[in-house]
Amino acid sequence: MTARLRPALIAAAIAMVVGEIAIFYVPRPPPPPVFAALTITTGAAFLAAGIAARDRWPGNRVGLLFTITGYLWLLTWLDHLPNSLAFTYGNLSWTWYQAPLVHLALAWPGGRLRTRFERGVVITEYAWIVVSNVAALMFWNPAFSGCDATCPANLLLVDSSRPVYDAINAVAAAVSIAMTVTVLTLVIRHWRAARGWSRRAMLPLVWISFAVASFLAVQTVTSNLNLPVSQVLLSDIAPLILLAGPALVVISTLLSRSARGAVGTAIIDLAPGATPGRLRDALAQALGDSTLQLAFRSTDGAGYRDTDGRRVDPARPEPGRTMTPLTEAGDAVLVHDQGLEQEPQLVRLTASAASMALEHARLQAAVQAQLEQVRASRARIVEASDAERRRLERDLHDGAQQRLVTLSLALGMAREHAADADPALQALIESARKEAREALLELRELGRGIHPAVLTETGLPGAIQALAERSPVSITITEVPPRRFPAAIEATAYFVVSEALANVAKHARADAADVTIRELPGRLVVQVADDGAGGARAEGGSGLRGLADRVASVGGVLRLDSPPGCGTRLEADIPCT
Amino acid sequence: MHVTDLQAPLRVVIAEDAVLLREGLVRLLGEAGLDVAGTAGDAAQLIQIVSAERPDIVLADVRMPPSQTTEGLQAALQIRREWPRTAVMVVSQHVETEHLFELLADDASGVGYVLKERVADVRQFTDAVRRVAAGESVIDPEVVARLVGRPRRNNPLETLTGRELTVLALMAEGRSNQAIASQLYMSPKTVETHVGNIFAKLCLEPAAQDHRRVLAVLTYLRR
Repeated sequence: MTARLRPALIAAAIAMVVGEIAIFYVPRPPPPPVFAALTITTGAAFLAAGIAARDRWPGNRVGLLFTITGYLWLLTWLDHLPNSLAFTYGNLSWTWYQAPLVHLALAWPGGRLRTRFERGVVITEYAWIVVSNVAALMFWNPAFSGCDATCPANLLLVDSSRPVYDAINAVAAAVSIAMTVTVLTLVIRHWRAARGWSRRAMLPLVWISFAVASFLAVQTVTSNLNLPVSQVLLSDIAPLILLAGPALVVISTLLSRSARGAVGTAIIDLAPGATPGRLRDALAQALGDSTLQLAFRSTDGAGYRDTDGRRVDPARPEPGRTMTPLTEAGDAVLVHDQGLEQEPQLVRLTASAASMALEHARLQAAVQAQLEQVRASRARIVEASDAERRRLERDLHDGAQQRLVTLSLALGMAREHAADADPALQALIESARKEAREALLELRELGRGIHPAVLTETGLPGAIQALAERSPVSITITEVPPRRFPAAIEATAYFVVSEALANVAKHARADAADVTIRELPGRLVVQVADDGAGGARAEGGSGLRGLADRVASVGGVLRLDSPPGCGTRLEADIPCT
Repeated sequence: MHVTDLQAPLRVVIAEDAVLLREGLVRLLGEAGLDVAGTAGDAAQLIQIVSAERPDIVLADVRMPPSQTTEGLQAALQIRREWPRTAVMVVSQHVETEHLFELLADDASGVGYVLKERVADVRQFTDAVRRVAAGESVIDPEVVARLVGRPRRNNPLETLTGRELTVLALMAEGRSNQAIASQLYMSPKTVETHVGNIFAKLCLEPAAQDHRRVLAVLTYLRR
């Protein structure tokens, strides 16, 4: 069916409904208004369901079946016209609408009959319903049904024979019941066999089939056996049950809508950075499809694996399942029940929601990896700079300092040898000796500033002790772990204390300070607290920012607590093993 | 104690990895009348020579190959353990006291810790070598000055007079009462009074022997 057909279908449906009103109200005293209204409503509902189903599932035969059922149902009431042809057709076709109904029940929801047996059942139903009605009509005198002489003639009447007519009807009733049981059984089997989305779509049909089948069975049995059942109940009210058929379209639409909402909610509720496994679970729950699989192309390029690690072949999905790619490159696919293809919008929504979540997770992972890289490279830079400083200090010690010591020694000996020499020469040697000594002192301080040898040689206790000894402020060392730590950790802790004590001496106007380095499980906490003026700021030029960077390079944090007038407390929390 | 024959020259082994400096030290000590029994460029060699030569004193640089950290110091400690009759004098470029206290451990007799630049004063340096060889303790004045000058909370050193502070520093450098007296131009009696006052003010147990006194004073100062 094409899109251009839609206006034609709508026009035809409206014409049919108007025609039906005409059938009921133009020629004869009209039937009871309740009956007319229900009959027309039921037919109109099937026509509407046909158009709606065609809109929702283009190419699916169920729309056509709804439409046929609607027309057959409405045309049955042509027997109200005072015309023999119409009268004959109406009485001939009064159960014909049941055939497309059976077809619909067996073809739901995909529109295709599943097995050859079911095709046989449907063809039998179409054939039988025509043949049995033609046969019955050949022996039906309208008078059997209480129709007086004003009734139009039965054009198919061959022989007015009540017994033959009743016998044919009895056989028809038996076949009808058998057919009803068969269809019900098949529908239940379809439902039981269905998985995932298809099972969801099947469930309302099961209930509706029960209702409609019961109605048809009751109608068939009572009309054939002439049981004393209220005609109003049977013919006027009962057709209401048929409305359940069109309701199927409404229900399935609602199901799809609610699933779309559920998918949206599931994605919104998904925690940021959730694993693909969690994403799959959320989607599976939203779609009511526990068999849903989210599969990714293996990193080695060999096939796909789902979130549980099972192999998945998207090129050859298992029977009844289908694959929807989530990314353009096809790195991730959703493997789901084929029935979900009935709901392309839902599939699109699910796929785009899933790919969005995956993309989010991928970006997050990428950012995380980049951050990790930056962290690692920062740590490497600091380590390299530490190593460079150590090397510089060593070069200074082994080179210039050693040479200056040697020079001093030579000058010292020269002074001894020149004891009897010219006083001017002695003075010259003496001043050279002093210069050499000054140079040595300066070099020693320079070397210590570059990298404290005592830290490399003896670790934190000696190095912190040395800092305390040098400080112009009274320092109490409360605690320093005696063991050695990785060089980067020791250097960081050392520089924290060194920088803090330098600040204490320079800015704090403090009398005393406490240094504590405490080893806690997995971390080293360095604290330097003074009793000075406080009010230190990390943003100031106190070197604290550089220190914070240094601490961060080993994954630690630096905290500064310095209320004005209440001393300063600098704390570094350094992870270590 | 180290019994030194005044007639025979002191036998010294020098451990220093910088060749020029080592040769300079050999000359310096040789000219000062000491007998240089051997020289070593690293710790292992030092131990080997000391084991063979049993010198009166070892002069060792703290930092030596291969790791250039504290091999010399470790070797000095080993020598003190294995050959107690050999005195050790460690030369260092560190004013920090960590190595000093490691070296002293619990016995300061026949131990010296001086800064390398002291070699510039030949007489002072050879005097220090002789004193250590004689079983005294010699601690570099600059290291001591740093310990004495450290700021302290409720500083007990502030209760000392200037004279007493000077005496305290000299005690920490390893000087005997006799030496302090002659250096400060005091009578030994006056020095004894000062020492008594210092110990009382600092709540220290008086120590009879000089090398025990060094340890007590240094430990106090480092606290």
